[in-house]
Amino acid sequence: MKIPGLDKARRRWWRLHPAVQRRLKVAVPYSVMGFAILVASAVLGEAPDWALWALFTVLYVGLEFFAVEVNDKLYQSSSIMVIMTAGVIFALQPGSSATLGMVLMAALGPFVPADFKERRWFQPMANFGQMVIAAGVSGLILDVSLRQVTSLEAQTLFVVLPAAIVASAFFVLLQQALIRHAVRTVYPYDRLEPWSHLGALFFAQFSMGTLGGLIGAAYLIAERPAVLVLIIGVYGIGHMSLYAYAQLRVSHLSAIKGFVKTLEAKDMYTRGHTERVAYFSEMIGEEYGFSGTQIEELKWAALIHDLGKLAVPTELIRKRGRLDDEEYDTMKEHAHLVEEILAEVDFLQPMVEIASGHHSHYDGNGYGGRGHKEGETPSLAACIVAVADAFDAMTSARSYRMALSQRYALSELRNQSGAQFHPEVVDAFERALKKSGRRWGAPHVNDEEMARRLAEEPELTLRG
Amino acid sequence: MANWHPRVILAASWLFPIVALIVGIFSAMEAGGNPFYILIASTALALGSMFGVATSNSGNHFTMGLAVAAAVPFVFSGLDMIEPAGSIAAYGIGLTAVWVLRHSRGESHNELLPVMVRRFGGYVVYAIVYSSMRVGLFADLDGGWEDLFPFAVAVSAWLVAEVLIRALLVVGPRELSRSYLARAFLQDLNVFMGLTLTGALFGELFPEITWWALPIALLPYSFAHVAFKRFQDTKTTYRQTIRALARIPEVSGLGVDGHADRTTDMATAIAKGIGLGPVQVEEVEYAALMHDIGRVSLSEPQVIRMGYTDDDIARWSAEIIAESPYVESVADKVRQQYEPYRRPGEQTDPDISLVSRIIKVAAAYDWKVHRDGMSPLNALEELHAGAAYEYDPAMVATLRRILDRRGVLGSVPVQS
Repeated sequence: MKIPGLDKARRRWWRLHPAVQRRLKVAVPYSVMGFAILVASAVLGEAPDWALWALFTVLYVGLEFFAVEVNDKLYQSSSIMVIMTAGVIFALQPGSSATLGMVLMAALGPFVPADFKERRWFQPMANFGQMVIAAGVSGLILDVSLRQVTSLEAQTLFVVLPAAIVASAFFVLLQQALIRHAVRTVYPYDRLEPWSHLGALFFAQFSMGTLGGLIGAAYLIAERPAVLVLIIGVYGIGHMSLYAYAQLRVSHLSAIKGFVKTLEAKDMYTRGHTERVAYFSEMIGEEYGFSGTQIEELKWAALIHDLGKLAVPTELIRKRGRLDDEEYDTMKEHAHLVEEILAEVDFLQPMVEIASGHHSHYDGNGYGGRGHKEGETPSLAACIVAVADAFDAMTSARSYRMALSQRYALSELRNQSGAQFHPEVVDAFERALKKSGRRWGAPHVNDEEMARRLAEEPELTLRG
Repeated sequence: MANWHPRVILAASWLFPIVALIVGIFSAMEAGGNPFYILIASTALALGSMFGVATSNSGNHFTMGLAVAAAVPFVFSGLDMIEPAGSIAAYGIGLTAVWVLRHSRGESHNELLPVMVRRFGGYVVYAIVYSSMRVGLFADLDGGWEDLFPFAVAVSAWLVAEVLIRALLVVGPRELSRSYLARAFLQDLNVFMGLTLTGALFGELFPEITWWALPIALLPYSFAHVAFKRFQDTKTTYRQTIRALARIPEVSGLGVDGHADRTTDMATAIAKGIGLGPVQVEEVEYAALMHDIGRVSLSEPQVIRMGYTDDDIARWSAEIIAESPYVESVADKVRQQYEPYRRPGEQTDPDISLVSRIIKVAAAYDWKVHRDGMSPLNALEELHAGAAYEYDPAMVATLRRILDRRGVLGSVPVQS
């Protein structure tokens, strides 16, 4: 059997850019499923009270409009409260179904003006599918569990509470799973876990959803329009708590940025270095399969790892040639100084522990701050930052020598593996480097002495 | 409050709880109904006041007690209680309990008195406005949209009353200004609305679904709690970051120990002394903390070779601050910190901001005392001598007043 036009369609598909292919692979099934659910619930479900539906839809779309960026490019809003309130009300009112009301509401949510303005097609399609699927499933749960309820009194809440808990848990879990699946399909080369603190965000959304369901039932039982006004105020409180979360995140990010900028102002050499060490640490963390939260911690620790250098005389940092013993001791201080500088910054304390241990050795030698104990292996995170730092120190140009090649740097890491460096971390780093396919350092400088001579006598040129 | 006689404060701090308790008991007798409810409400108020939610920018401390207080007249007007006597009874008894609890936890009468007077005043205004509107204009309306009108009016009256009492008691007449009042009012609005709203939700639901109203009101309350905690943490993060940056010159041995902290202390005292609002005081604080951060560049080889001037340090500081988030706005002010406040032929130099003039005086005083080893009186004398062009005489006069009040100047030495 031959389907006409199949070959042509297939040829067209392969002519598309792979990035577009990946987006289509998400957007089409999501929106098709969304449409299927929309049509099915329209056919099978009973129409809600349209006046109430319109009120809640306006609130829902409004909250979606004011969604806040709770994590890197992850927008969330407290709209789950609205949709759960509406769902419970529609499920409890005789002659209307929660599924249809919630699905219709969710279908209107994803159309944010910013998407239209920037001519995005993928985000609205994927979000439409994701939201309608989640709304459909939790609406069905509410419909099934609240169908038997006939009388509205305080006791009804005993039935509503478990129903609201299950429905909002499904809602949030489905949403998170679908979003994560979409991101992983569209950006396959990025890290495994795109966002940190998803657990905390789940809990926030889940409790908001449960509360939304409860106040919906309470409104029906109390039969007081005044409660409806107060409910809108409660939505505002929910929005405020998300907004506060986003603000706090921004403050942490800008604090880190402030420290990095100040370090750069003092020493331009450190600029690329700090960022590259963060990048390498992130790579190793991903290779280890760290969660988003752990990766963020690792990255921040890497960004502040050299902060102690702010307090070390610049002439030492920039000195050409080897440091003498006394100078080396001063240089060693910077592991302590990072602790001293950041002693009062509460949110950075776990990262300070990691950062101050980045010169501790795997076998317990080396030096470091509070995190360093003679003869003890430092924490895994500190080992990771240590490897990343050493690799970048070798593959970038310093005041006293030229950049070394990646091959030399890796062989040096392997030589010291088990002594200075954590052997597993070195292995993981090698694998991650191979996967990334990028090469670092100068191409042919495979000799430390050579590199130093090249730096000291600039007129020597390299022939490779 | 601070400049009242200690005996007055002591007497008032004994009188207030007793009066509140007496008022509470008398209104409880007046209110009729079941006294058990009054007991529950006052216990809830006392317990709620132990849970701090947030301390706002203007130094206002908010507790869960606020939400309870908002709920009380709602609930009581549903029960057969004569209002506002019932609510006032609950507040009187509850606040007396709060006083005893907080005092036993180690808070002094000096701190408690203004807070308690303000709270009681605010609550009473709220209860009276709310119940008189319910009894008068809105007696026959029950459960409709209009139900919230008395609440909205009463809450506004409450907030205005609190702000007014606070301004009269704490700020003191010297610093009282209309703009300060308005700012304090706006700053506290979101916390205040969040708390009273959850209280109203409880009060509105309680007659219908009884104790189920408790979890339903507690959940949004906890969201509000978390939100305010996070807003607070945001502020703390910025402040700690700036403090940490300010420490760098001292940690690296390039500054004088404690110079930034002492200058900040003095500069904020001067800023408050000349009557700036909380926002500007914060700006002065940040600028003063960061004013010497440019000293990290002092170990640069070319600086060691070629030397530097105070103006260079100001420039470097401003360059670093301009790069730091959140405090960018004070970069210009730090840049001008060594500029004279006016040039010959001018009344004042309009380009030099107030913040720079404050920091100039505070920093100079600290250098003279702690680096040059002068006595405070001699340092002040030098500042006065420089008041023609260098140091703004208004700031120097305020500094003098502050030093006098702190007892640093001591007795005037006798010329030998």
